[in-house]
Amino acid sequence: MTSPRTEIVVTGLAAVSPAGVGLEPLREVIGSGVSALRPIPPELAGREGYLWGRAEGFKASDFMSPLKARKLDRCSQFAVVATGMALKNAGLDPAAFGATRIGIVLGCGFGGIANSEEFLRGYMTNGVDGLVPMLFPNTVPNAPASNASIEYGMKGPNATFVQRFCSAEAAFQMACRFLEEGRADIMLTGGVDELDPFMIEAFRDMGQLRRFADGFSEGAGILVLEKGDVARKRGAAIRAEVGHIRTVGSLLPGREGEGIARLLSGTGNPAVVSLSGVAAGMPCLTGPLGHSRILETGSLLGRSLAMGGLAMASLILSAPRGASALHYGASPEGPYYAIDFTVS
Amino acid sequence: MRKNRIAITGIGIFCAAGKDVPSFTRNLLEGRSAIGPVDIFDVSPFPSRIGAQVRDYDPLAYFSAKTAGELSRADQFGVIAAGEALADSGVKDRCSPYDIGVSMGAGAAGMLQAEQWLREKLAAGKGRPSLLRGILPDRTSTAIVRHYGLGGYQGSITTACSSSATAIGWGADLVATGRLKAVVCGGSDAISLLTYAGFNSLRVVDPEPCAPFSLGRKGISLGEGAAFFVLEDAEEAARRGARIRGYVLGYAAVGEAFHMTAPEPTGAEAARVIAGALEHTGVRKEDVGWVNAHGTGTPLNDMVESKAMKLVFGELVGKVPLVSTKGLTGHCLGSAGAIEAVATIVSLTEGIIPQTLNFRGRDPECDLDYGHEGARKSSASVALSNSFAFGGNITTLVVSR
Repeated sequence: MTSPRTEIVVTGLAAVSPAGVGLEPLREVIGSGVSALRPIPPELAGREGYLWGRAEGFKASDFMSPLKARKLDRCSQFAVVATGMALKNAGLDPAAFGATRIGIVLGCGFGGIANSEEFLRGYMTNGVDGLVPMLFPNTVPNAPASNASIEYGMKGPNATFVQRFCSAEAAFQMACRFLEEGRADIMLTGGVDELDPFMIEAFRDMGQLRRFADGFSEGAGILVLEKGDVARKRGAAIRAEVGHIRTVGSLLPGREGEGIARLLSGTGNPAVVSLSGVAAGMPCLTGPLGHSRILETGSLLGRSLAMGGLAMASLILSAPRGASALHYGASPEGPYYAIDFTVS
Repeated sequence: MRKNRIAITGIGIFCAAGKDVPSFTRNLLEGRSAIGPVDIFDVSPFPSRIGAQVRDYDPLAYFSAKTAGELSRADQFGVIAAGEALADSGVKDRCSPYDIGVSMGAGAAGMLQAEQWLREKLAAGKGRPSLLRGILPDRTSTAIVRHYGLGGYQGSITTACSSSATAIGWGADLVATGRLKAVVCGGSDAISLLTYAGFNSLRVVDPEPCAPFSLGRKGISLGEGAAFFVLEDAEEAARRGARIRGYVLGYAAVGEAFHMTAPEPTGAEAARVIAGALEHTGVRKEDVGWVNAHGTGTPLNDMVESKAMKLVFGELVGKVPLVSTKGLTGHCLGSAGAIEAVATIVSLTEGIIPQTLNFRGRDPECDLDYGHEGARKSSASVALSNSFAFGGNITTLVVSR
């Protein structure tokens, strides 16, 4: 897979996570190694022993009017708040910079599902009188990125991916490409996901609490990417440089080695490696890492479909200056991602 | 501007207006609308009771009972249409499966089955878990990847009604950058209670078959289906002797940053994406044969899209028809962009500009050439296809024969 021909750098980070709101709580959890996950109430999970990572510290009312909060689904609230923090962290004002030159591509997990459930529940229990039209627009997974673009007037490229545990990595890849092509000078990217009690009921029914949904979490992890020359020209602090991005769509039965080889191609000796999705359970990825320090955010912050955003933010926050860093994202049935960084 | 030309070497479609490319082509040429009664669930409580539902569909004609049971309706449509495109291209026999990927545009996906789970849950406290299998829109890409053994890439773009147009543009880019030798790109979606009730609750569904750009139009008619292209580098495709069906020249996909559901009313933002697509591809305005409109039939969309055309094409606007094929296919949401891209390529190949169906009268606010009178012959080699979505996610594709 190709590497960016354009120098792409990370100039801003933001996080809303089970650790709290902002980068400091995230840094503390990573530094201490004390998990931010909490027990799921047994009456919800069916028994004791399961964990989840709700962003309990997040209160929409701390950041927006009650009217605006009511209009936004939970994922959009996360995205709007985290996007504002990321812009601030990068020292950016979209209007002053040039609205059409700043875009956003996010990975989203279960965004829109809660609104869909509430909307349908209204209909199924009270017929057409139970329909709440205001809920419908935010049933789409692009609501978080689109609401963020509306809030901050970012008129550049705009897209959303839902792709298993690699939703954020898929978005990251596209954001880099948009910078390479010159479609934008600055791209916000990362992931956002939400976790609602009714989702736990569904996970329980599907048997997923015993598999991938144990330790499920929510939040947003956003990175500000820009061309190196743009960042230097505006005097932005560069936190990391983006290197190669490699991806494989699925590992084909009987030919898994070929896919893994493509994913590992060009991997050096990274000082720090973040593991997202189900990557920690894949010895073919973790085995060759040697003496690299492993950052497995799933056990600290929980796992979500768009956790790659938080994992990449955590990687950049925690890697020493000058270190080479690697991010692995993996989903049970694909895709798989390997993304190289050099931390500034 | 893109250096590598991206060729369409395979086309597949499965929708109410045709369950394969030949039948879709016939219906497109004859202007035969697929909008009719909807009986996939009870629509009697809604003001509109019609849509472009895929009818006479037996999953067992395409899948084993086991496979059919594992796939949502949207997944099935996607696998069928992607299969037609792959077979049409013959690319699977020509390169490693790790060089072929899937770029998918998705919408409500398996919501229809998930709704049944919720119904059972509300009625009995527990629903059948298998009904939730396809609830996430990425499931269709996984189904296609698994069904055809493709390993190169798997990505699902979920920007509502512009999803699959963007997925085609992105797919072309994955080939142009050398990341993939071939990509199966397009979209699939199925009618669901969520979208049917949702658009009805917003009062943007026409009780009669949608009448884009007509006087008295009241909104959309929902549709469903799937459509895919197989894209390859044009030189590589020619070298292997592939039949080239057309080209994806490029695209633009931006955010209006205006409102979650309403388009920016002056048309300036829609004009920006159309102009951006032309700029990206280096296509001149005078070389555009026509524009396949988003053309939903809502009062606002059609007026704004008409304004955007004037802003982009200026004095040339009278020579560039703005036609909507949604009277034929319904509004297929997550797959709309792909189905309309197929309609555009088929029309370019057949040498026609398709008709905008269901004309009800001239709207003074829609004063362009919309092709209401009927399909006409055209020697155009380039056309655009617009897809506008909730969130202000707007995309324009540029294709040529």
